[in-house]
Amino acid sequence: MSFKRDVPTSTMSGFALSAVLVLTFLNILLQNIPSKINTAGDALLQLNASQGVANAVTTVVVYFRGFDTLGEIAVLFIAALGIGLMLSKNKHCDIKAESNFMLQTASRLLFPIIMLFGIYVMVYGHLSPGGGFQGGVIVASAVLLLLISHKDFEVPHSVIVMLETFAGVSYVLIGLIGLLVLDKFLGNFLPNDISNMGLLMSGGIIPIIYIIVGIKVGSEMSIIVQNLLKRSENV
Amino acid sequence: MFEYFNQPEVIKTIVTIGSMALFFVGLFGLLTQKHIIKIFISIAIMEVSLFLLFIGLMYEQSFLAPILQNPDANFTNMNDPIPHAMILTAIVIGMAVLALGVSFAIEYYKLTGKTNIDEMNEMRH
Repeated sequence: MSFKRDVPTSTMSGFALSAVLVLTFLNILLQNIPSKINTAGDALLQLNASQGVANAVTTVVVYFRGFDTLGEIAVLFIAALGIGLMLSKNKHCDIKAESNFMLQTASRLLFPIIMLFGIYVMVYGHLSPGGGFQGGVIVASAVLLLLISHKDFEVPHSVIVMLETFAGVSYVLIGLIGLLVLDKFLGNFLPNDISNMGLLMSGGIIPIIYIIVGIKVGSEMSIIVQNLLKRSENV
Repeated sequence: MFEYFNQPEVIKTIVTIGSMALFFVGLFGLLTQKHIIKIFISIAIMEVSLFLLFIGLMYEQSFLAPILQNPDANFTNMNDPIPHAMILTAIVIGMAVLALGVSFAIEYYKLTGKTNIDEMNEMRH
């Protein structure tokens, strides 16, 4: 009844190894706790007013780091492509369990509301917390609700392809128009006056790009969720 | 009594220790579990602990979220937007990587019926 016999050796050694690693991290981090960090964020907050967008996080994501966001969307697209290549050869779930009546009725009631909330979060991303990524994920959760409640529901593939192509091409096109007009990739060529801050039509290209990001993330997440729900016949 | 915990150094120390405790949970699961889905869950827990560390280290007491209410205000006494933007990127990339890994695991299970990583030795012979 000793302690060593009950706990496997791998558990003990794993505990010791992870404790050593975490204590090392903790030691390094606790030695450098600053009281106030003066970083590039303060400079960016001063620059942020020039774009006329109320939400500074949106300005950083879409404008100052706009090219990185384009790369991030490319990574998301490659992940969706890999999942599609892996799983899309399976037939649509034949053995999916029948959902009950309450889930079906409630999902029909809730789907438009969740969809509307997702689009609201997407469109108001430059004025309030939220944005394209969050709104896209909310839209995909509405699609997931339909997928688990309705047995024969399937996301129309042609619509997804159209939306994704439109979003990706228009992101790059807006960047190239900015390159032509302002000699800067993703330059803000639309009116972005500071006096319009807080209105829906403010900030120039920034809300447009965030809506495009939302369309792309929503369609890709929907197709990822649908592919992961698929099952082959022989399992 | 609780004024001691309002000092920025104390808050950041608590955040660091707590997020590293969560990181320990993930690392322990990553090192000791054999089921591949449990390993992915451990990686996700480690990711979440790093998100908490980044956001918590930039937290300032009495600072606001970096969103303006009207055009006349200016960005003073507001939190740094850069960690938020970085973590937004990291969450999306982590989600994509996790979904791709889970799809690989599903396909591998369909082909071989194995989930234990010790038995995954098709390349060895």
